[in-house]
Amino acid sequence: MVHLWEDGILKGIIPLSEGWKKYRSFLIGIVIAIIYLWAIRGTETSISNFAKGIPNMVDFVKRMFPPDLSNIGKFLLKAIETLQMAIVGSTIGALIAFPLSFLAARNIMPRKMVYQAIRTLFDIFRGINEIVWGLIYVSMVGLGPFPGVLALATHVCGALGRYFSESIETADPELVNAITATGANKIQVIARGIVPQIKPLFINYSLYYLENNFRAATVLGLVGAGGIGMELITSMRLFKSREVLTILIIMVGTVMLIDRLSAAIRKRVVGIKKIA
Amino acid sequence: MIAIKHLTHRYDGRDEDAVNDVSLSIAKGERVVILGASGSGKSTLLKCINRLVEPQSGSIEINSEDILKAKKQMSERIRGKIGMIFQNFNLLERETVLANVLNGRLRFNSALRAVFGMFSKQDYHEAEEQLKRVGLEGLSHERVSNLSGGQKQRVAIARALCQKPDVILGDEPVSSLDPKLMKEIMDLITSICIEENITVITCLHFLDFAKKYASRIVGINKGSIVFDGKPGDLTEKDIVEIYGKTRDWYIYGRTGY
Repeated sequence: MVHLWEDGILKGIIPLSEGWKKYRSFLIGIVIAIIYLWAIRGTETSISNFAKGIPNMVDFVKRMFPPDLSNIGKFLLKAIETLQMAIVGSTIGALIAFPLSFLAARNIMPRKMVYQAIRTLFDIFRGINEIVWGLIYVSMVGLGPFPGVLALATHVCGALGRYFSESIETADPELVNAITATGANKIQVIARGIVPQIKPLFINYSLYYLENNFRAATVLGLVGAGGIGMELITSMRLFKSREVLTILIIMVGTVMLIDRLSAAIRKRVVGIKKIA
Repeated sequence: MIAIKHLTHRYDGRDEDAVNDVSLSIAKGERVVILGASGSGKSTLLKCINRLVEPQSGSIEINSEDILKAKKQMSERIRGKIGMIFQNFNLLERETVLANVLNGRLRFNSALRAVFGMFSKQDYHEAEEQLKRVGLEGLSHERVSNLSGGQKQRVAIARALCQKPDVILGDEPVSSLDPKLMKEIMDLITSICIEENITVITCLHFLDFAKKYASRIVGINKGSIVFDGKPGDLTEKDIVEIYGKTRDWYIYGRTGY
C-alpha cells in the first residue's frame, strides 16, 4: 500500500527530483490544506456564524409544532401526484433512451459521428439538473405536473441512455458471434443476442431511476412544476410553519416507502436470477 | 462444396499472418479435422469460412457462391446454412434451453418477429425435435445456467441443427469438457453429421480425437497447411511438423492421451 501511494499515485501528481522526494507527503499535505482554506473562505463557512443562527433555528422548529393536519388530505393527494409524475417521467425517459442507446454504443454503431452525437445529447440531458429542466419546461408549457414530467423524462433519458449504452458495450462479443453465425441479420442479433444479455441491467437501472425520480419530483414543485413541492413552497411563503412540518413528514414517509418498494421489486426482478 | 483459394488474413497490429495462403477443397459429407497447436490459425481459418472474421484476401466458395464477395443479405443467407459450435458454448445463460435453440431458426424469420420473440409452430416443433435428438428431451424450459457443460454443448448443437445446415463448423467444441464428455459430444456430432450427410469441419487440439473422428485431417502450423490427408497416412514426422516441438506437442500430439 505504501508502495502504491509513494511510487504510483504521488509520483504521478508531483514529479520531484531525488533530493525533494522525502518531503513529498508533506508537500501534498500543504497543498490539500490550502485547497480547504480557500474553499472555506470562499463560502464564508464559520462556526461562529452557525452559533449565531441557533436561536433562530430553535424558534423556527418551535413554530412548526404541533404539525397542522387540517389539510393533510390535500397534501396526500399531492404526494400521489408526485408519484404519478415519477412513474410517467421515468417511463417516457427510459422508452426514449432505450432505442437511442444502441446508436450510442461503439460495438453496434460503426459511425463515430452518430455515436458521438447521441452521447453528447445524453450528456446534455443528464448534465442539466431536473430543477433546471423544470424551470425551462414551466416557461414552455406553463405551471403544473406536466412540465415536471417532461423535466424528469429529459434528465432520466440522458442518465439511462448513458448507462444503457455503456452496458451494451459490455455485451460478450463471442455470444454475439454465435447469434451472427446462425445467419441472423443485425436487428435479430441485437434483439436475440445483445438485449437478453443486458436486460437485467436495464431493469435494475430503470427501477433505480424511478426511485430517484420520486425524490427529484418532490422538489420540482419548488419551481412550479407540480407535485408536493409546490405545496411546500406555498406554505413556506405564507409562514404556515405547522403545515410545512406536515408536508415534510409526508415527503420523508413517501420516499422511505418508495425506496422499500423499489428495493423489493428489484430483488424480485433481478436478484432472483443467478448471474452466470 | 467448399473451395477455399489463397486465403490470407492478418490481425491488425500483428506482424505475422494468422492464415497464410491457404487453399483447400472440401467435398460434401467430409469430416475434416483441422489440427494444430494453440495460435496456429486454425480457429481464424474456421471463422473465415462463415465470415465471422473478414479475411484480407482470397476467396471462399460455398456451393459455388463466393461468401466473401456476397453483399450483406446474401452473406447472411449463406452463413445461415452453416451451423457453428464453440468451445465456450456461447449460449444465453439466463434464457431457457428452448429460447437458445430457437435462435437457430432466426434465419427463417423476419427481423420484426425476432424483436418480439415470435416463432412459428414449425420453429417450436423443430426446436423440440432437435432437443430430443441431442438427448435433452424435457429440459426445454430449464434455464441454461442450471445445465452441466456437456448439456450446454448439446444445446449449442441443437441450435446449430435447427438451422438445417449443410455444413457444421466446430471451434474446439470439446476443449472445455472432461474426457468422458469429450467423447460423448464428438460421438454425437459425428453420428448426426453422417446421418444427415452434413459436412463438418472441426478444430481440435487432440491428435487422438482427430484420428478417431476425422475422415480427413488438415494439419496447420503458423497459418499454413503442412499436412492434408487421411488419418491413417499421418506419420510421426507429420505430427512434429504440425505441432512443432512445442509444449502442445507433448500435451496433445503424442498418442495415448
